Amino acid sequence: MFKWKKLGLIFKPQEVKDRHWLKEFAQAPATLVFDDFVRVYFSCRPGPDKYGQYVSYTTYVDLERSDLTKIRAVAQEPILSLGGLGSFDEFGIYPFSVIRDGDVVRAYYGGWTRCESTPYTVAIGTAVSHDDGRTFHRIGPGPILSQSPSEAYVLSGPKIRRFNERWQLFYVAGIRWSVHAGRAESIYRLRMAESSDGLNWERTGVDLLDARLEADECQASPDVVFSGGRYHMFYCYKYGVDFRNSTRGYRIGYAYSDDLMRWSRHDELAGIDVSTEGWDSESIAYPHILELDGDTYMFYLGNQVGREGFGLARLEGTLV
Amino acid sequence: MEFQRVGKIFDPRDYPLLTELREYAQSPQAVVFDDRIRIFFTTRDRDGTGMFKSHPAYVDMTLDLQHVMRVSDKPLMKLGERGCFDEHGIFPISPVRVGKQIWAYTTGWTRRKAVATDSGIGLAVSDDGGETFIKYGQGPVLGPSLHEPFLVSDGFTLQHEGRFHMWYIYGKRWIRSDEDSPPDRVYKIAHAMSDDGRRWTPTGQTVITDWLNIDECQALPAVVRHDGSWLMVFCYRHATDFRINPARGYRLGCATSHDLVTWVRSDLTLTGKDELPGWDSEMQCYPHLVQVGERLYLLYNGNEFGRFGFGLAQLL
Repeated sequence: MFKWKKLGLIFKPQEVKDRHWLKEFAQAPATLVFDDFVRVYFSCRPGPDKYGQYVSYTTYVDLERSDLTKIRAVAQEPILSLGGLGSFDEFGIYPFSVIRDGDVVRAYYGGWTRCESTPYTVAIGTAVSHDDGRTFHRIGPGPILSQSPSEAYVLSGPKIRRFNERWQLFYVAGIRWSVHAGRAESIYRLRMAESSDGLNWERTGVDLLDARLEADECQASPDVVFSGGRYHMFYCYKYGVDFRNSTRGYRIGYAYSDDLMRWSRHDELAGIDVSTEGWDSESIAYPHILELDGDTYMFYLGNQVGREGFGLARLEGTLV
Repeated sequence: MEFQRVGKIFDPRDYPLLTELREYAQSPQAVVFDDRIRIFFTTRDRDGTGMFKSHPAYVDMTLDLQHVMRVSDKPLMKLGERGCFDEHGIFPISPVRVGKQIWAYTTGWTRRKAVATDSGIGLAVSDDGGETFIKYGQGPVLGPSLHEPFLVSDGFTLQHEGRFHMWYIYGKRWIRSDEDSPPDRVYKIAHAMSDDGRRWTPTGQTVITDWLNIDECQALPAVVRHDGSWLMVFCYRHATDFRINPARGYRLGCATSHDLVTWVRSDLTLTGKDELPGWDSEMQCYPHLVQVGERLYLLYNGNEFGRFGFGLAQLL
């Protein structure tokens, strides 16, 4: 079993002032490393509108590379505007994942819109930055990954990686909507697509992991790193409905693979669980692994999927 | 190009369609059999909220398109599950023979909040001549993509020299004529190609140049081989105030091509039998071409987007 030392809550959105669009939530942390700081992208929300509905923006906080618990600066604006009328990303840009590609930074994100028979749907978009990730712009108004014959529901939570001179996109694909107490809840699993250019994607079309909790188990945030000769994936999983309480909410799981396609699920090895009290006592979710200067870190969310921010843990030892 | 009107040939009020409403027979599209012409179309029902849902159906007609033989008496396919692209309706349905099967390219609709709707193009396959169809997956074979962001609809396919070609439409933008109006859509005809009819790649090329203005809406392309070249028919209208204002509603257009890539647009005129007020006096839309022996027929809808059926014209 891996052993993670929790370093505590690192960023709390409620402590940021003067940004009306950053009232609460700091979701789905994703990092970009610079010489002396680490930029952590996250998704946040202004207060709800008069109908109680939220939109999500993505922005970043810069942490000191020498001490990731120290905040250097918080972005002044969202790094990408919401999509236009009728667009797939009109109501939210969340989650967001970045990767360097030569002189530019490429981003892959979930774009949210609102529907009638379901609260929302999500498709995966892309954007590019020419200023080291301070601002991003779209290269087209539509998504790069949307519903297909084998992926007919929500497509979200992209994590971009490059292994073996290919591009890999790990993401979440809905398999149905389950209605519970009058509310439609998306049921989703982990998928992967590959690409030679980061724009045109071939979907593998199969779930990366079986469900363990129940048929309606939901899996998200598949974060993959290569270390010690194999691929390691940390992710989160929860029950499909009635998960907004402490026993059915997100936990962090672990799987490994030799080929990115066949994964051995070993949640018992993940080595990180909810705390007995505090900001991550009810649920832990959305792991993001950062290997930096000889250490392996995990950024993750606590209670209410990051409503009060994200925290950090450091691995004792290495990923093998 | 001139087609001579024959008149309305199918009125949904006259037949026992499965939908209770028994109105709308939209976007007629034909498959020719030895002894009949099967014309697929979509008809509407209302759901519990009073909103429309469209469903595919067919009518079999004699080879001269003069007489109705029978109408479909069971559903061709079900609408999609909650959250699927075709949950709230299928309109239109475009059949094409592929080997011994009939493939149908469907347009599925889902309702949205900020705008009325979005759509995608699905595929369903029939092994029984079009009586019933099995969907190829629960999602669309062609949906929104980087440069074609929404409202992907109206797929029409043909096979030529070992490749599948599809003409379809996609939404360019949603606009508001004024602040209080619901958003109106602007859409254009596009072209995609495929090796297997399932995995499609948009060409990204403009197919039909705008004649009205940049907000011209172009819909329902259909293509046949005719007179040594390719003939496309489609319909077009203004983006706003098009539902009840005859001056801004759908009219028919056509274009010709020698290579399926470059198209020269021209007028399509319906001649003769122009009764006023006739069934197609205010609007002409959703055209389809069917070659029967030497004859080239045009099927199309008239007023109110085909609420009271479809009609026929013939190339002279």
